[in-house]
Amino acid sequence: MKIKMKKIGITIGKKIIAIFKGVGRFIAKLWRHPKGRIGLIIVTILIVSAVFAPLIAPFDPYDVTQRAQKGLSPSWNHLLGTTITTGQDIFSMLIYGTRVSLAVGLITGITLAFLGAIMGIIAGYVGGIPDTLIMRTVDVMLVIPTLPLTIVLTNLFGKSYLMIIFIFVLFGWTGMARVIRSLVLVLKNANYVKAAELAGASRWHIMIKHILPGVSHLIIMNTALTCAGIMVAEAGLSFLGLGDPTAISWGKMLAEAQSGGALLFGHWWWIIAPGIGIFLSVFSFMRIGLVMEEVLNPRMKQSSNIYKIFKNLNNQYLDEVFAGMDEKAILGIQTTKEGERV
Amino acid sequence: MQKSFIIKRILYAFFIFLIVMTLNFFIPRIGVSDPAERYYPPQGNMTEIEYEIIKQVTREQYGFDVSTVQQFINYVDGLLHGDLGTSFQPGNPKVSHLIAERLPWTLVLSVTNLIISLFIGLIIGTIAAWKRGRWQDTTLLNLSTISTALPAFFIALILSFYLGFEKELFPAYTNPNMVSQFDWSWESIKVVMYNAALPIISMSIGGIIGYGQGTRNAVIAVTNEDFILTARAKGLSRNQVIFKHTLRNAMLPIVTSLGMSISGLIGGAVIIEQIFNWNGMGTLFLNANNTNDYPLMMGVMLFMSAFAIVANLVTELCYSLLDPRVTVGERR
Repeated sequence: MKIKMKKIGITIGKKIIAIFKGVGRFIAKLWRHPKGRIGLIIVTILIVSAVFAPLIAPFDPYDVTQRAQKGLSPSWNHLLGTTITTGQDIFSMLIYGTRVSLAVGLITGITLAFLGAIMGIIAGYVGGIPDTLIMRTVDVMLVIPTLPLTIVLTNLFGKSYLMIIFIFVLFGWTGMARVIRSLVLVLKNANYVKAAELAGASRWHIMIKHILPGVSHLIIMNTALTCAGIMVAEAGLSFLGLGDPTAISWGKMLAEAQSGGALLFGHWWWIIAPGIGIFLSVFSFMRIGLVMEEVLNPRMKQSSNIYKIFKNLNNQYLDEVFAGMDEKAILGIQTTKEGERV
Repeated sequence: MQKSFIIKRILYAFFIFLIVMTLNFFIPRIGVSDPAERYYPPQGNMTEIEYEIIKQVTREQYGFDVSTVQQFINYVDGLLHGDLGTSFQPGNPKVSHLIAERLPWTLVLSVTNLIISLFIGLIIGTIAAWKRGRWQDTTLLNLSTISTALPAFFIALILSFYLGFEKELFPAYTNPNMVSQFDWSWESIKVVMYNAALPIISMSIGGIIGYGQGTRNAVIAVTNEDFILTARAKGLSRNQVIFKHTLRNAMLPIVTSLGMSISGLIGGAVIIEQIFNWNGMGTLFLNANNTNDYPLMMGVMLFMSAFAIVANLVTELCYSLLDPRVTVGERR
């Protein structure tokens, strides 16, 4: 019994080391790509400032006793000045705002990718009734306007970031599921999957061991892009005052700047600062997502244009058309090289 | 296009509408036990009995006093007669009247934006695809990464600060008299154009670049097809190949993204309308939300969803008209 436990411990340890090695190699690959390097650097800065916000920020924006004079212009003491309404240090608010943006973006992106991937693989591989059910749900969710619905739901069930994350996950997995499903439909007919089926492998085994690795590059890439999209959406919701009213976020800073008279008094730094925060975080995640597409699957490079267009498709049977078009690239059948094109 | 295909799509769209309608009815009823209580919070100088009476009257007036099933039947019955319910607002206006009042103002913004984005985007995209790999193309690519990362409301704030407050070129807030004084005279149309300039510009920057990049990708995807090679081998000029063979086929993905834009015409400008205080569906919806006016909120939601469903249906039908392969695929 003891030996068995030990063995399990060793295998788990090895798995963890393997995962770390994989992540390390992956980061190294990103680093070697010039565009990926920019994204990586910005994300590192963002994560550091989110984690060590109390150390970096010169003032604590939540602390009412630390409020300075109202409406100060940028100076060495207050790098980005203070707000007109409350006298909070804008630079400190900017640093603390990273926390909300990153937390909401990352948690939502990863959960959503998980759910979307599972749904997509089941819909694509199992087919039949599960496929119909999942795709009908996707169709319904696609026509409901997301922003108004989110506004209604936060009004009904309380304003908090947990609620926002929940709503984003609930309505965001559909896009991911469509993309994954269309690729799974192609992989399903690949020879190695057919071989595994003939050898008597169970559905779960095939889905986890054969299908999942085949779509993993798409999942990782889409996760990064989804994180970026969610960050914009979160900023918009906070701007409308639907986030947690006590938290400091970039969207809320923008709303305060607008209502607090930043436009009127010409305090442009109060608007630019959170805007640049949003821009940098979204930009870096997008960059990483787009670079991942090239790094993880060099074959995909040739068809990436078709991919980007069809990724946003709203039309259910176009999935099949799309699958047919990309079949050559995915299965590695020879395609013309970039240079030979017209 | 086969008839059975059209009928199938229409029935399917209707089915989705039924689901959305049911969700729309039940979601607020899960979250709120008593809409009257949310709309009229208890006042300090009111006795318990008085408050109960007020709530009871409100419930009876808006039909919340019967069972949920009966409410649902009444709701569907009202919808069949084109009645989206009665708003809690003073004077109890019909939700459909409020929507009809605000809808044109939102459409002014979003339709103009769509036309500008599509038109300029198509031109820019074709140029970029034509000059593939040169500075025109790379500029568009870089711009599209930047504009995706910049939310439209941030662009709107910057524009309203710079052009509205600093340069005083355009009004940073919509003139509140614009709507009430509108009488189709040239003067009032000019006022609307003047006030709508900033919202439209801030919306269309992203739109132009988005459509530009989409067109560029679509055109390049088509250039790799065999029939383009044939056309060039036949000895056609470059212009002929681009305008007669490539652009026509590149329309397919553009029609799809156009359909998506159309389904977002009503609900897509909520934040922009809020920033410029524009008197459209977005501000109507946000106000309803802030005052807990549930019938109005759900009426607007249903209207937006119905609009999106119809837009999707029309896009699908257009698509199958343009690309008959879609209908063939359906037969399998």
